[in-house]
Amino acid sequence: MVSTSLELFGVTLDYPVYSVRAKSLRSSVMNLAVGGRLMKDQSDTAVVRALSNIAFKIEEGDRLAIIGHNGAGKTTLLKVIAGIFEPTEGVVDVKGRLTSMIAVGLGMDPEASGIQNIYNMALMRLVRKSVIKERIPSIVEFAELGAFINLPVRTYSAGMVARLNFGVATELDADILVLDEWMGAGDAAFHDKAAKRMERFVASAKMIVVGTHDLGLVRHVCNKVCVLDGGRMSYFGPVEEYFERLEAA
Amino acid sequence: MRNRSPLAAAVGDLSEGLRLSPVWWRLGLEQTYRRYQRTLLGPFWIAGAMLTTGLSLSFVFGSLLGGSWRESMPHILGGVLCWSLVSGIVAEGANTYMGAAGMMQVQRLPLSFYSLLSANRILINFLHQIVAFWAVMALFKLLTVPHWTLVLAIPLVALTGFFLSIPVAMISTRYRDIGFMIGLFFGALFLLTPVFWSRAQLQPDKRWIADYNPFSHLLEIIRQPFLGQAAPLLNWYASFATLGVGVVLAVTCLALFRKRVIFWL
Repeated sequence: MVSTSLELFGVTLDYPVYSVRAKSLRSSVMNLAVGGRLMKDQSDTAVVRALSNIAFKIEEGDRLAIIGHNGAGKTTLLKVIAGIFEPTEGVVDVKGRLTSMIAVGLGMDPEASGIQNIYNMALMRLVRKSVIKERIPSIVEFAELGAFINLPVRTYSAGMVARLNFGVATELDADILVLDEWMGAGDAAFHDKAAKRMERFVASAKMIVVGTHDLGLVRHVCNKVCVLDGGRMSYFGPVEEYFERLEAA
Repeated sequence: MRNRSPLAAAVGDLSEGLRLSPVWWRLGLEQTYRRYQRTLLGPFWIAGAMLTTGLSLSFVFGSLLGGSWRESMPHILGGVLCWSLVSGIVAEGANTYMGAAGMMQVQRLPLSFYSLLSANRILINFLHQIVAFWAVMALFKLLTVPHWTLVLAIPLVALTGFFLSIPVAMISTRYRDIGFMIGLFFGALFLLTPVFWSRAQLQPDKRWIADYNPFSHLLEIIRQPFLGQAAPLLNWYASFATLGVGVVLAVTCLALFRKRVIFWL
């Protein structure tokens, strides 16, 4: 059996940002017609270096927290790990089944019922139908949706959507769980439940990568920390050392 | 571990998409089903547009172009039916990635998956329309047994549409004007392809418009079997050539731009 691991080698991501004008054909044609230089300066396509030379390795049982200020590149890094963005340079080597919960609710169909969404999300994660059927009761129970599970997802509150998403992500035989700001929605009871669930998840020799601002979560759940600062990794190491440094500073 | 070459990654994207067939098949069925949830006549509305266009055109053009209605009606209705598959998949490509933006932001799936999903939706609509077509033909006692080449022609046309839809989807996502342009283009192409007229009715010096139009060949290879006969070999050769062009374009575009599409959304 291949053990679970996640390794990043010199990952750099350049993120082109197209404005409304850059998306239109007219401005591109104008660029050609004018001969490039003059119009290109105003073409509104900015390239942002979102991640710069990120490298680390985590293994079975690791719980990595990715922390940093707003805009430091947390979500971008999580998306690169989840394979949604492909790095401009470098390699992301994932060993194991990865499941991500990055933008809560975005992958769901608001018109479909909770049950249908569980099926869809699970199918997209390549889980077999028989396995899904088996897991549905425990997902529904975790999400505490009760009869709501048969109603369209558009009738759910934000917390309900988050619970459903979290239930699916943790229930479906993943080895690596990638979470972003999952504490954002849901009430205190859900947070406790989710934290317990994550502990159980990690206990079975699995990995969690979580992007967060919540230092309490980092201290309680995680064992490693990756600090991002303007797309660069300014610290990577054990949680204890990170907090020691924080206190020393 | 090393990075794969862009070409290998493009082929990998396509084969991964094909391996996900149970997923896009099921999602396609579900999305279709959801479209007629809370409607009374459900599937009828999907076939309805084909029937109204086909029957109206056959009423007017059947008499304008001469000949008996019983002869022209199957040709025209069959043409409108098959056009929905021939043009539908490529035209739908314009919305594929923008429509799937939500899924693409949260889940790593090959780009070809989204194209297969939207091609599959068009194929499912087409299957609805076949039922309606046969029902109308039976009503007028014009029903014929389809020629066996139909079972080859439908996959060939669907596959060609799928490959062509990938470059269309990419360029429409990058340049938002193209999406509108694609709509106009296929609107014009509907008139410029022998859907409700036939090549023989053109003046000889204008027949090139049917001959050099790949969509007219794709149309014939499925329409003729519906009318009970095999399409001429020339139509088949041209259709395979179009498939070849589609494959090359799709692989090239995937190799060049696959990584960037997510940033174009």
